[in-house]
Amino acid sequence: MNFNFSFAIEIVPRVLEGIGNTVMIAIISFIGAAALGLFWELLRRSHATVRPVVQFVIDAIRSTPALVQIYFLFFVLPYYGVTLPALLVGSFGLSFYYSGYMSEVFKAGIDAVPAGQSEAAQSLGLSWADMIRFVILPQMLRNVAAPLGAYSISILKSTPLLAVISVPELLGSALDVASDTYRYAEPMFDVGVLFLAMSLVAVAGITQLERRLGLTAPSH
Amino acid sequence: MSFFAILRSIYEGFGITAAVATLGLLFAIPFAVIAGVLQHFATGPLRWIVTAVIEFWRSSSVIVLLYAFYYTLPAFGIFLSGITVGAMVLGFNIGGYGSQSVRAALQSLNKGQREAGLALGLSRFDVLRLIELPQAITAMFPTFINQAIQLIKGTTLVSLIALTDMTFRAKQISELGYNPVGIYSALALSYLILCYPVTIFGRHVERRFATRKAR
Amino acid sequence: MALQTNSCSGNAAVTMEQLCKWYGSFQVLHNVDLSVAVGERIVVCGPSGSGKSTLVRCINQLETHEKGRLIVNGVELYKGMKGLAELRRDVGMVFQQFNLFPHLTVLDNCTLALVRARKLARDQAEEIAMENLKKVRIPEQAHKFPTQLSGGQQQRVAIARALCMKPKLMLFDEPTSALDPEMIKEVLDVMTELARDGMTMICVTHEMGFAREVADRIIFMDSGRIIEQAAPSKFFKNPEHPRAQQFLGQMLH
Ligand SMILES: Nc1ncnc2c1ncn2[C@@H]1O[C@H](COP(=O)(O)OP(=O)(O)O)[C@@H](O)[C@H]1O
Ligand SMILES: [Mg+2]
Repeated sequence: MNFNFSFAIEIVPRVLEGIGNTVMIAIISFIGAAALGLFWELLRRSHATVRPVVQFVIDAIRSTPALVQIYFLFFVLPYYGVTLPALLVGSFGLSFYYSGYMSEVFKAGIDAVPAGQSEAAQSLGLSWADMIRFVILPQMLRNVAAPLGAYSISILKSTPLLAVISVPELLGSALDVASDTYRYAEPMFDVGVLFLAMSLVAVAGITQLERRLGLTAPSH
Repeated sequence: MSFFAILRSIYEGFGITAAVATLGLLFAIPFAVIAGVLQHFATGPLRWIVTAVIEFWRSSSVIVLLYAFYYTLPAFGIFLSGITVGAMVLGFNIGGYGSQSVRAALQSLNKGQREAGLALGLSRFDVLRLIELPQAITAMFPTFINQAIQLIKGTTLVSLIALTDMTFRAKQISELGYNPVGIYSALALSYLILCYPVTIFGRHVERRFATRKAR
Repeated sequence: MALQTNSCSGNAAVTMEQLCKWYGSFQVLHNVDLSVAVGERIVVCGPSGSGKSTLVRCINQLETHEKGRLIVNGVELYKGMKGLAELRRDVGMVFQQFNLFPHLTVLDNCTLALVRARKLARDQAEEIAMENLKKVRIPEQAHKFPTQLSGGQQQRVAIARALCMKPKLMLFDEPTSALDPEMIKEVLDVMTELARDGMTMICVTHEMGFAREVADRIIFMDSGRIIEQAAPSKFFKNPEHPRAQQFLGQMLH
């Protein structure tokens, strides 16, 4: 056996250097994905003629891999003279990818608001925007909280994709350690354990938060 | 290189993409069914172990798992081909999600179904095999399609462990000349051609299931 | 007041002695004594929650009892026993919610246990299935799926499915309670016919017309106890127990 546990422990601090970036990417991507996803969904509902177009965009986003979307942005943007830090480009990539899923979450969340609500709002003479803002959205937020929580964890687990465009997040710094020391097994092992731990902690945290806010129906 | 030539060149990686996806399904489906059924029935320590295994595969980051298994297994004296590692990691990851759908589908079955089977004198195993699983698996068909799409998209990751799938081909072509728009549009299009019909089919199936349930 | 229990009698289909059952700390069945002879037709009635379903479900051990003895078709049943599946093949059960298998055709619902449990050849099983579908008067629906049938038709299929196993004893748990009024009769007719053919039957039902016509004995339950049992003529004319009087009063309005 060629695996050195003490080395695996010794390099943990160096691997951990990437954690700040990992968290930052996750937060930017989550906010971006939720905002863009909501935008898609509102656009999809706004007018019957744009509906199929938006639907195609959403389906197309969901039919291409996140990695390909990230590569695309990373290599194509500079071609058009847009140069941004890799961390931002990668986060935009994840935002874009997950917006396709978020739009479905918002769709289901809005659909679950009884039709009578919008009829009542319209009969009161509210404008479309006011109806969305004051009647539909507040009720929808309750419906989308749990799936958004689940996607926030998916996003966290996808952040290491940014290592492929050399962003020094957790996987990136582990790969750096690997290429410095010519040992791959231990850094990869470390980052595997770290992500498993982070995701389990995040799941527990989100469950706790949802319970605290009274957002989950009691489940089995 | 013309756009069409790029597409054709990317297509040379289709074999690997398809192989990893197919093999991945061969890991995913049995794992999902067995783990889901076990988690549904098991009690005590066995249930705890099954849950731990499922959570390991499902809660880990797939890309990290891929690197970790690819680089760590040899250090433990286990040598697997890149395709095997890729298919196994992707398959067990999707299978972990699938197991939850299997379990949920079993749980949501009306318990009268089980009772009717038992009352007819079928063994518990036959009730599971002939009555519960067929219904559970039908009920999770839409989910299954979505998970299959996730698996196909996930195969891009094997390009990172040097398998020449479609994504790896695109990277190779990009070394031949600067044409990011052409190459990455072609790459995105390649996956779109592969997955879009499945996405539409999945949407269709989902709608049909929803109306059937409403009746 | 309970009938004499004679567990050693060769012609008892079901014998219960001091049967007790709890759900957690809540006792559902209190020392139930009951003997059902082969060929006897029993109707069980009583207010909702009185333990009728639990009693009937104990007989094929969908619920297990914690105390007392239960002998069905000459075999004593107990929790965790082996060979239960085999014994259940001789006890047919019809549920309130039909519980047909929605993924199988009507015919396959009927043949499933014949092929898988009785190990009959498919064509033989189909022959038996068609015979019983004829008996419940829906042979023409054999190749449809359950969801394509009306409630009354589904329940008749459920009866046919149970009959296919050639049970020695049939249990019915409120077989018509989930049906629209116009479909109740078609199911009761089938059950009446079955009774005429000499089937041993235990029916939980509130169809008093059926009870009057078919039952040899009516069992009235309240709070997990059998508090009255009598022939229908007696039970309907002058029930002894005030709870039974009250119950009948409500039923007839
Ligand atoms: N699985 C169960 N767990 C706990 N209590 C139960 C369960 N099933 C039935 N009960 C209770 O046992 C009592 C008898 O139920 P049941 O046999 O279904 O009555 P009936 O069929 O006469 O309406 C009721 O009070 C019911 O609430
Ligand atoms: Mg009942």
